[in-house]
Amino acid sequence: MKFITLILSLALMAPAYSSDEKSAKELLLNMAEAVHNRNFDASFVVVKGKSMEPYRWLHAKQGETELEHLSLLNGAGLEIIRIDNQVTYFEPQSAPYSIATDSIAGPIPEVLFKNIERLNQEYDFVLGGKGRIAGRPAQLVRIESKDEYKFNYWLWIDAESSLILKSAYVNHNGDMLEQLQLTHISVTEEPAPLLLEMLNKEFPTPLPSDAIAKNTDNLASNNWQIGWLPDGFSLLKSDRHKLDLNNELTDYYLYSDGFVEVSVFVQRPLPGRRPSGALSSGATTIYVHNAGSFDVSVVGNIPAATAKTIAESVARPL
Amino acid sequence: MTKAHVNKLDDQNLSALLDGEEFLTDQEIAAKESATLGRYALIGDVMRAESENDFVLDISDSVAKALESEPVYADFSQKQDTESTAVASDNVIAFNWRKPLAQLAIAASVAMFAIVGVQTLPQDDNSPMNEIPMLQSTPLTGVASPVSYSSEPALENAEKGFRELQQQRIGALVLEHQRQARVAYSLEKAQTKAQAEEEKK
Repeated sequence: MKFITLILSLALMAPAYSSDEKSAKELLLNMAEAVHNRNFDASFVVVKGKSMEPYRWLHAKQGETELEHLSLLNGAGLEIIRIDNQVTYFEPQSAPYSIATDSIAGPIPEVLFKNIERLNQEYDFVLGGKGRIAGRPAQLVRIESKDEYKFNYWLWIDAESSLILKSAYVNHNGDMLEQLQLTHISVTEEPAPLLLEMLNKEFPTPLPSDAIAKNTDNLASNNWQIGWLPDGFSLLKSDRHKLDLNNELTDYYLYSDGFVEVSVFVQRPLPGRRPSGALSSGATTIYVHNAGSFDVSVVGNIPAATAKTIAESVARPL
Repeated sequence: MTKAHVNKLDDQNLSALLDGEEFLTDQEIAAKESATLGRYALIGDVMRAESENDFVLDISDSVAKALESEPVYADFSQKQDTESTAVASDNVIAFNWRKPLAQLAIAASVAMFAIVGVQTLPQDDNSPMNEIPMLQSTPLTGVASPVSYSSEPALENAEKGFRELQQQRIGALVLEHQRQARVAYSLEKAQTKAQAEEEKK
C-alpha cells in the first residue's frame, strides 16, 4: 500500500514540477506576444544605484505593421523609433541612423521579446511569488544564471495583460542592482495617434544586417587572444576602429550569450599612473585593466569579478 | 459748520470715549442715538475678540446667487474637448521630428562614469568581489574641486590631466558599448542563420 502511495505521489508531483517550469516560460512567451500585439502607452523609470532615468514607451499594431517609440525623457535624451523591421536611433551629437532589426535595444533585454528558448543552456526559468506592482496583480518570473559569472534577471508580469510591469538585475546575494519599474500603463483598443504619425515620416535607410555581419575589412580577431569568457558567450564581431567621443583607436570585440552583451576594448596605454579597477552604474560594470604595454577595458552587464577575469585573460597571440 | 460735519465730530468723541481716551459727560451720551452707541460697542468687542455672541458673517447665499449669474468658462461635460487639450500638453509631443535633440551636451549616461579617484575596498573576507578595487565615480556636474595644497603644482596638474584622459576614455567606451550592443541582436540572428545554412549543406 505504501508503495502505491509513493508511486501515486510521485506521479502527481512530476507534472506539478514540469508545469511550474513550463508556466514560467509560458508567461515569458505570453509577455513577448503581448508586447508585440497590444496597443499600449507606458511610462517607466530605470533606477541605477543613485541615478534614475525616466522613459516613455508606446507601442501599436496597425494592421500588420508594428509601431514602437521609446524615449528617454531626462537630459540630452534619446529617441528610438521602430517600424516593423527598422529601428532608428536619434541621439544627441550624431546623425540619426537605422538598423535592420525587429526589436529596440533599450533597457529591457531584447531576447525577452523573442525566442527565450535559446537561453535554456545558461539560464533557468523559475516561477516566483505573486505581488502587486504598479497597481496591478503581478507574477514574478526569475531568470537565474546557472553559474555565478552572470547576473540573474527578475521580471514581474501583469496577470491580466501579460505585459511587463517591473524587472531587475539581481546579483547572487539577492541585491537588486538595476531596477525598471512601470509607473503608468494604459492598454487601448486603438493605436496612439502619435505612433500613426510615424508612418508618414521618412527615416534613414538601414544597412542590411548581412552586410554588417560580413564586414571583415578591419577584422581584429587575430590581434589578441581573449583567454576566458563565461560559458555560452560567442564572438559577434571584432574590428579596429576609432571611438566616436575621443577619437582613440581601439581593437574591439563584441560578445553575447543571447541575454547580455560584453564589449572588450584593447587600447594603447594611457600615460601616467593607471590603476586597474572597476566602475559600476546599476548592472553595468566597466573594468579597466592595466596590462603594461596595453590597456584592456571590459564593459557589460556582468559582475565585476567576471569582467576582471575576462580583462586579465587578454594576451598577445603566440 | 454744516450739520454733517457736526455729527462726524460727535461720532469721533463717542469713539474716543469707548476706547477710553476721553471722559464721559452726560450731555454727549444723551445726544447720541442708542443704536449708534450699541454698534460702536460691538465693533470694539469684536476687534478685541471679547464678544460672546460669535460674530458670523453668512455670505453663502449671496455667493450662490452670484455664481448662478456667472458665465461658464469651462464645461466639464464636454469630455472630447478636455481630452484633446490634455494630449496637446503631453511631454512626448515635444520631440521635434525634423531636428531632434540637436545642440545638447554629451548624454547623461556618459557623464555618469567620470572618475574622481581610486579606492581599494577593505579585504576583510574572502569573497572575490572584495578583492576588486573600485574606481569611485561621481557625476560631472556639481563637483566642487578642492583647493590643492600640493607643493608640486606641476605634478598635481599632470595627475589631473591623466585622470581627465581616463575619464574621457571611460565615457567613450561606455557609449561605444551601448551603440555596439544595438546591433548585437541582428548580428546574432544573422550568425545563427548562417550556421543553420551551413549545417544543411
